[in-house]
Amino acid sequence: MGGLEKRKYERGSATNYITRNRARKKLQLSLADFRRLCILKGIYPHEPRHKKKVNKGSTAPRTFYLLKDIKFLLHEPIVNKFREYKIFVRKLRKAYGKSEWGTAERLKDNKPSYKLDHIVKERYPTFVDALRDLDDALSMCFLFSTFPRTGKCHVQTIQLCRRLAVEFLNYVVASRSLRKVFLSIKGIYYQAEVLGQPVTWITPYAFAHDHPTDVDYRVMATFTEFYTTLLGFVNFRLYHSLNLHYPPKVRRQSVPALGGFPLRACLLRLLGLLLQKLSALSASLVRVVAPAQEDEVEMDEFPVEGETAEQLDARRKEQEALEKHKKLFEGLRFFLNREVPREPLAFIIRCFGGQVSWDKSLCIGATYDVSDPSITHQIVDRPRVEQQVVGRYYLQPQWVFDSVNAKLCLPVADYFPGVLLPPHLSPFVTEQEGDYIPPEKLKLLAMQRGEEPGEESEEDEEEEEEEEDDNDNEEEEEEEDSEKEEEMKLKKMEEQKTQSNKALPVKVTAGKVRLEDKQRLEQEQQNEEKRLAIMMMKKKEKYLYKKIMFGKKRKIREVNKLAAKRKAHDDAIKEEKKKNKKARRA
Amino acid sequence: MALTVLERLSTSPTRLLPSQNDSLPPQDGAQCPKTTLDLPKRAPALPKRLLTSPTWRPPSQKDSRPPQDGAQRLPPPSPPWRPEAPSRLFRRGARRGPFPSKMAAAATFLPLTPGARDPGSGRRRPRGSRNRKKGWKRWAGPEARLGREIGDFLEDVALQQHLKLNKGREKPLRIDLLLRPDSKVPAPKNILAYQVPNGGKERRRRQFWERLEQRGVLPRAERLLRARLRAAAPPREKPLEKGLLDPSRDFYDIWADDNPLDRALAGQDSWFLQETKKQRVKRPPRLQKKPSEVPAVEVIAPGGSYNPTFEDHQETAFREQCEGLLEESGGEEEEEEKEEEEEGGEDPQDPPKVAVAPPRPGKKTEQQRRREKEARALRRRQEAARCRGRQELFRLRALRRQLRRWEAERLRRRQAREAKLRALQGRPRRLGRLKYEDPSLEVQLSEELAESLRTLKPEGSVVHDRFKSLQKRSLIEPRERAKFKRKYRVKYVEKRAFREVT
Repeated sequence: MGGLEKRKYERGSATNYITRNRARKKLQLSLADFRRLCILKGIYPHEPRHKKKVNKGSTAPRTFYLLKDIKFLLHEPIVNKFREYKIFVRKLRKAYGKSEWGTAERLKDNKPSYKLDHIVKERYPTFVDALRDLDDALSMCFLFSTFPRTGKCHVQTIQLCRRLAVEFLNYVVASRSLRKVFLSIKGIYYQAEVLGQPVTWITPYAFAHDHPTDVDYRVMATFTEFYTTLLGFVNFRLYHSLNLHYPPKVRRQSVPALGGFPLRACLLRLLGLLLQKLSALSASLVRVVAPAQEDEVEMDEFPVEGETAEQLDARRKEQEALEKHKKLFEGLRFFLNREVPREPLAFIIRCFGGQVSWDKSLCIGATYDVSDPSITHQIVDRPRVEQQVVGRYYLQPQWVFDSVNAKLCLPVADYFPGVLLPPHLSPFVTEQEGDYIPPEKLKLLAMQRGEEPGEESEEDEEEEEEEEDDNDNEEEEEEEDSEKEEEMKLKKMEEQKTQSNKALPVKVTAGKVRLEDKQRLEQEQQNEEKRLAIMMMKKKEKYLYKKIMFGKKRKIREVNKLAAKRKAHDDAIKEEKKKNKKARRA
Repeated sequence: MALTVLERLSTSPTRLLPSQNDSLPPQDGAQCPKTTLDLPKRAPALPKRLLTSPTWRPPSQKDSRPPQDGAQRLPPPSPPWRPEAPSRLFRRGARRGPFPSKMAAAATFLPLTPGARDPGSGRRRPRGSRNRKKGWKRWAGPEARLGREIGDFLEDVALQQHLKLNKGREKPLRIDLLLRPDSKVPAPKNILAYQVPNGGKERRRRQFWERLEQRGVLPRAERLLRARLRAAAPPREKPLEKGLLDPSRDFYDIWADDNPLDRALAGQDSWFLQETKKQRVKRPPRLQKKPSEVPAVEVIAPGGSYNPTFEDHQETAFREQCEGLLEESGGEEEEEEKEEEEEGGEDPQDPPKVAVAPPRPGKKTEQQRRREKEARALRRRQEAARCRGRQELFRLRALRRQLRRWEAERLRRRQAREAKLRALQGRPRRLGRLKYEDPSLEVQLSEELAESLRTLKPEGSVVHDRFKSLQKRSLIEPRERAKFKRKYRVKYVEKRAFREVT
């Protein structure tokens, strides 16, 4: 034997965890400081599997940390800075209490401050790690940059957040990496592809501002503190990856006369001006090395092992589509009316190569006037536009967003001012096979495939779908004939509905009739084979198979239900429209 | 001092007082010995009372001098006249009547016989000690009365004199006029508004310095100031706060090979750095993993579009309604959902899901558990005994079957455990007292939906969304705002003014 006897809770999970309060005491920090430290270092509480054991028999709900994590925190140099800051505050308070202004000034000059650079390096050892965690950083920075400069957090934080956010936007513009935009009721979602990593972030609407009270702003500010540092370094790297100056420089910069101000004030003013210009998003950035020639570089192709020619082809096609998407608005000149949200629109248009301007009184950086004859699109958000200029489209802002998501310039007719807009679809949804796809999306998909938004394509698609369904469903036909019939009815109804929607002449393709016989034969054979296979199945497998089929069928039923609902809704709207028309006529 | 006053009293015109003072004690003595005993002691205190009484004014210096002539002193020298004094005197006089008559009346009542009682003292006995001001004031003994009467008398005398002085004149005295609050004489003007003190002198001095300045001579203070300005370095600009929050801080390539962070330590012996605690401690790889796989930015459902399709919107709205119902009904539908999930198992690779055992109706008691355990042990022992009896060789097939069964059972258990863990993975952890609660679903009703982007009314807030996301990913523990707790109960009292108003 040997060794001392271990008592209860002296080994195992009880020794691996430490409660928050004990950790706090070990680090000699106040609770607020401890929280901050944990957030900055990326150390999060743990939920032990056996709480009662860890809690030494007690079942009181506590917050636990891993003991090793806390031991790791003990080495952090920032802990000392926190302690110094505490002492600084104490001294300052004392000086103020004694009215020793000179001492207070001196103390304030020597205020202890810390930097988080080393923590950024430690938490994100490579640049790609940092890119993967950019979602949070961007969302926080965009959020904080819209805060009012009162109370809730330091003005400097807000300024820094604004600067970093604007820099990032400029990078996205310069690299043309925006992919998706989604206007939600909460805010605007963006997705960009930064060096191959998808980065999603949300920005609040500029005009929405309420401060919920059940949010701990101190915690949020701490996260932001760290994320600003991270975003700064990421921005630096991103700018350099494009050979751009960092801190960014704007082309055609005219320095206004700033005589008579002290040096610091001058600097600040210049910085502010630069930020304004940047945030206008209208000017392009200065490159370190001037681009010699905008020539199309043919990418060398390295076939990946085990990749067939088809895959290669598909990849090339994808690449081409992407290039096309990037140049979506190239050659178009936009003008934003003052009632539309300027920043998101300017950002998006510039991301896809368009030129954009606005009223001079609205914001700095306007490049041309409303009366410019070369404007192709004017974005308007009013029910009616007086004094329309010939030669340009007047469109509602949704056109820009929808076009970006559809990866093509949508037909403008649906987006004229005063027209009831088509729904704004979420680009973040990818339908799986068998899912319900709203007719708007179907239309869009057809357009993306380069077909005219007509009957044909949809019919084909539906037929295909039906065929598939038939294959799947035939087995159960015997049992559930009635249901099948119902479904078929619904299918037909939907078909009719879509047809009625389009109201375009039906084209009948000639080839189909000939093929039918062969197809049917083939199908019958296939079905026969399938039936046999099912018969040969073991009981267990059959059970599983039935289950799968049931799931699929249920999905189809749901889809049909939705379609029926939609139809009812459309009908109702149509009737209303008719009534309105009649009323107008009468 | 006391003596002089007593003297004066003795020579005062009433002539009654000394006799009272002299005669009373022996007469009183028979009835109330206490007072008689006290009286001699009290006597010297009388002048003090006189001095402190409100009507008694301290005698002027003339007064304190030894009396020259009784007749001359009778009209006391006019005390420093106060403007409000006459009116007060008049009032008092009107109420009480002139002093001399009262004195006379008092004189008639003064008991001179030994058995008689002092009416003043009989009405109210002196209570308590008079070694404090309060006691003195309360005291209504003969001396106090006397003091008050003397005071009244003196005031009256002064008044008489005043009247005498004013007799035969229509106009009041100028001094009275001057001191009246509504004086006709206007207040003096603000002189400083018209003339500068030392104006001439200052002007001359200024001219002198101007002349000197023309000649190039500066005053000393100015000279020193200029010298200091010339000598000192330009004033230090307040250093930019080079901390985190500086909006104009600079960044560098932190991921480059020669970044400033590592440059300081580059090329040094790692052992040395480690020992001198200069090398940073390596971050454990366990920390690179996030506590949750939930994406940082969860995109809102398609129904949350500002202009959603009909179906998406219906779906979202329906879900919200369901949530509301669920809250009301207390989770009745959860069971149904579970069933549905069971049905919808699709993946053929997936092992048949292990049904979560429904909670038993009642827990086993300790006794039951023990008995079961014992029974199990017994069975095992019996089995072992049986096995030992048989020859193992003939049991080969049975053994193999058993082995297979065990293996299957182990596999099943492992899979169940993994499935459970996987299910827990996506769920936010329980990190403290409070559980994470999903934020309420954001949805706009059909009539709330905006026609265009301009008229959009945002629903929900990004601040809230971010905060909840942090909690959902188990990065911070859910907390609630500390409640303000009052130490003492607040008492509500209706103020008088308030009562009057209502």
